[in-house]
Amino acid sequence: MHRFVSRLVLTLVLLAATVAGAQAGPATDTLSQSVDKIIALLADPAYKASDTRPAMRAKLIAAIGEIFDMKELSRRALGPEWNKFTPEQQERFVAAFGTLLENTYLDKIESYTDEKVQYLTEQDLGGGKAEVSTKVMGKGKEIPIAYRLTDRGGWKVYDVVIEGVSLVQNYRSQFGQLLMNESPDAVIAKISQKRS
Amino acid sequence: MTAALSRKRLIPLLLLSVLVMTGCNGRQKTSKDFDKAVAPTPAAVQTPAQAPTQTAAAPASTEAVAAKPAAAPVAAVTQTAPAAPSADDYAETPYKPTPDPLYYWNKTWFKFNDLFYSGLMRPFAKGYAFVVPKQVRTGLTNAYQNFIFPIRFLNALLQLDFKKASKEFGRFMINSTLGIGGLVDVAKADPNLAPGNEDFGQTLGRWGVGDGFYIVWPLLGPSTARDTIGMAGDAAANPLTWIFGPWSIYGDDNPWYWSYIIKGGDVFNNLPNTLEAYDAVVKPAVDPYTAVKDAYIQYRRNAVSQ
Repeated sequence: MHRFVSRLVLTLVLLAATVAGAQAGPATDTLSQSVDKIIALLADPAYKASDTRPAMRAKLIAAIGEIFDMKELSRRALGPEWNKFTPEQQERFVAAFGTLLENTYLDKIESYTDEKVQYLTEQDLGGGKAEVSTKVMGKGKEIPIAYRLTDRGGWKVYDVVIEGVSLVQNYRSQFGQLLMNESPDAVIAKISQKRS
Repeated sequence: MTAALSRKRLIPLLLLSVLVMTGCNGRQKTSKDFDKAVAPTPAAVQTPAQAPTQTAAAPASTEAVAAKPAAAPVAAVTQTAPAAPSADDYAETPYKPTPDPLYYWNKTWFKFNDLFYSGLMRPFAKGYAFVVPKQVRTGLTNAYQNFIFPIRFLNALLQLDFKKASKEFGRFMINSTLGIGGLVDVAKADPNLAPGNEDFGQTLGRWGVGDGFYIVWPLLGPSTARDTIGMAGDAAANPLTWIFGPWSIYGDDNPWYWSYIIKGGDVFNNLPNTLEAYDAVVKPAVDPYTAVKDAYIQYRRNAVSQ
């Protein structure tokens, strides 16, 4: 009898563990699909060949653009300052900031070799937002990266948290500091200069 | 005779049992570890003062998980609920900024450190990384980290985090023996024995001490008032201080400057990695000073919450 009970408990525990593992969540699904797509592009031999590279690069940028919500990311990077920008300035800010991020992180993404992405947990942040914790493993290093996504007709990333440092928060501190002394236009100009 | 023999055997036996227990201890907590991966995030948004209550609440929920895994998602959700009161403000409410009363001092030393490490020392670091294989550099880092294990162990104990303390102890035992005096991080192969980074600054934070103010030290880099006090605590727990300090029993044989040479050597050995991390923050930055300051504060707040 005792044995039966312990076996039943074991089975239930195992079952529960499998079910919990399978419940990854919609945000994780969207993110992992996008990451797989990007990795597939990078692993494609066409990416290495110099003649097909520009086309592949454009594909890569498009794939990244699909998963990131650049407007939401920019809005949050400005925080309360966002409302002090005119719609036209907001538009230019989103474009300039997007190019800055693209230029700085594209090299990093392109230096991808054989890192593995492990999806750990998905946490509901409420209000159609979720945080997906991942671990990027490669070259004897493990980097914890969390993605914050919002659901607006499809999940899109609005913040990346690397080793506990939020990208959006980091930029919000910088923009906040700059906007104390400088006009929005000057800040946009500074961002645009940065990428050249 | 037999009594003496058993006494002789007693110590190795005790050590062995401790080793086995710490190992098993780590392994049993797989499900708890998984839960803990969820827990730090809500704690990160909280102020350090609230952090202890969060950590105190965590064991209760982990026990529930261990007993009834099916309840895990529920437990995780209820735990996060108070952390994000109004969902729309999540990550948008500016966290309590750390004051920067020494702005001009900080900015001056930030520029100095940048010129020194990123300018002057970078070619040396590059050359060093080119000449010395990565395995050797990692080995040296591992050995030093293994050597200063008392800092992490003591601070895990001071934080009353016995799981972390047992983990650090297990890592030290395994790496000192199987890992040839810590050169090889053998313990890392077990996900439950992943390297930790507890220090005195985190211990102070764990007990509710806030950042204080931001301060940049020459050569040592960004810090806060709390972490500066923490550095002194770490120095006190560093075996080097006791081996090479002026108060050491072998004062003449162990000149004091050796402790600085070893510490400096560790900094230089890690410089290629440190510069990489530094570049990752500074290169995409629009305002490098603020970017480094914010990254440091965020990194430390996250470390305290874990």
